[in-house]
Amino acid sequence: MKKYLAAIALILVFLAIFIPFASSNPDGLEKVAESFGIEVHEPIWKGVMSDYSVETVKDPYVSTLLAGVSGTLLVLLAAFILGTAIVSTKPSTVSDKQCHSGDATRSY
Amino acid sequence: MHIPDGFLNPATAVLMYAVAIAFLAWSWKKVKATYPSSFVALLAISSAFVFAAQMINFPIVGGTSGHLVGGTVLAVLLGPYAAMLSMTIVLLMQALFFADGGLLAFGANVFNMAIIGGLSFFLIRLLTRNSNSSGRFASSVFAASWFSVVLGSLACALEIGVSETFANAGGIMVTVPAMLFWHVIIGLGEAAITTTLLTSLQRLQPAVMGGLALLKVKVKQ
Repeated sequence: MKKYLAAIALILVFLAIFIPFASSNPDGLEKVAESFGIEVHEPIWKGVMSDYSVETVKDPYVSTLLAGVSGTLLVLLAAFILGTAIVSTKPSTVSDKQCHSGDATRSY
Repeated sequence: MHIPDGFLNPATAVLMYAVAIAFLAWSWKKVKATYPSSFVALLAISSAFVFAAQMINFPIVGGTSGHLVGGTVLAVLLGPYAAMLSMTIVLLMQALFFADGGLLAFGANVFNMAIIGGLSFFLIRLLTRNSNSSGRFASSVFAASWFSVVLGSLACALEIGVSETFANAGGIMVTVPAMLFWHVIIGLGEAAITTTLLTSLQRLQPAVMGGLALLKVKVKQ
């Protein structure tokens, strides 16, 4: 458990450090669309934190960091739920129990 | 490479949903049959990492930027099947909460990044076959991650190229070379980051390399 929490903390620290350095240039697809004069229309669904920012927070760094941290935790939770949903539908086996003991020799 | 809504014809969007769902059903079945329940934590953390990494765009020449897609990272950490599901979760959260990638284009985005990314696993297996050298592993990862981005961009170029939106611009005859031009370069960034990350993990935390067990690859320390 400690290992997992450390990994999550590391991801959040990574975000906090690298967000100021993230490039705001268009990505490959946006660049291609731009070069052909095709405009990206306002999306039908704008999400909650569109463009990775929290609207109510003025400071751009804090705004993006908040969006990034919420997104990371949302993905963590969603993937955990998905994984649990998949494995909970299968009968537990002996090899499962061995894997729970956390030895490095597990095989999928 | 996230396609926004408005770039695809409805027919293309529907077709790509169908293709994506077929692959996801296959990977769901495989994960259920072959993965131990202890993989759930690694699945959750790897997915969270890929989400965070995708937020950090690196600039490339010509006023463009790219970011790690992470398909090959997931493929090596989780194996091909869980990697496809993991990336799909990342893309779903991006589309739902951050309007990054359209909802109608979701099927296409899943195919271009999650499915192709997960399948890069098999390219690594092909390239590392009968070899346990760490140099061979690193170069296979480099090649597979570069290829997954280039192939994803080609799929993306074909999908948007046949749409009405891009018809006046010249369709696939122009979208394919334009997308490939940028992603051949962006792919090098993907490959450099993926290779650095995976070879470091291999050295520091070999126990997390679950996908390697599936690969039946033993890399010398």
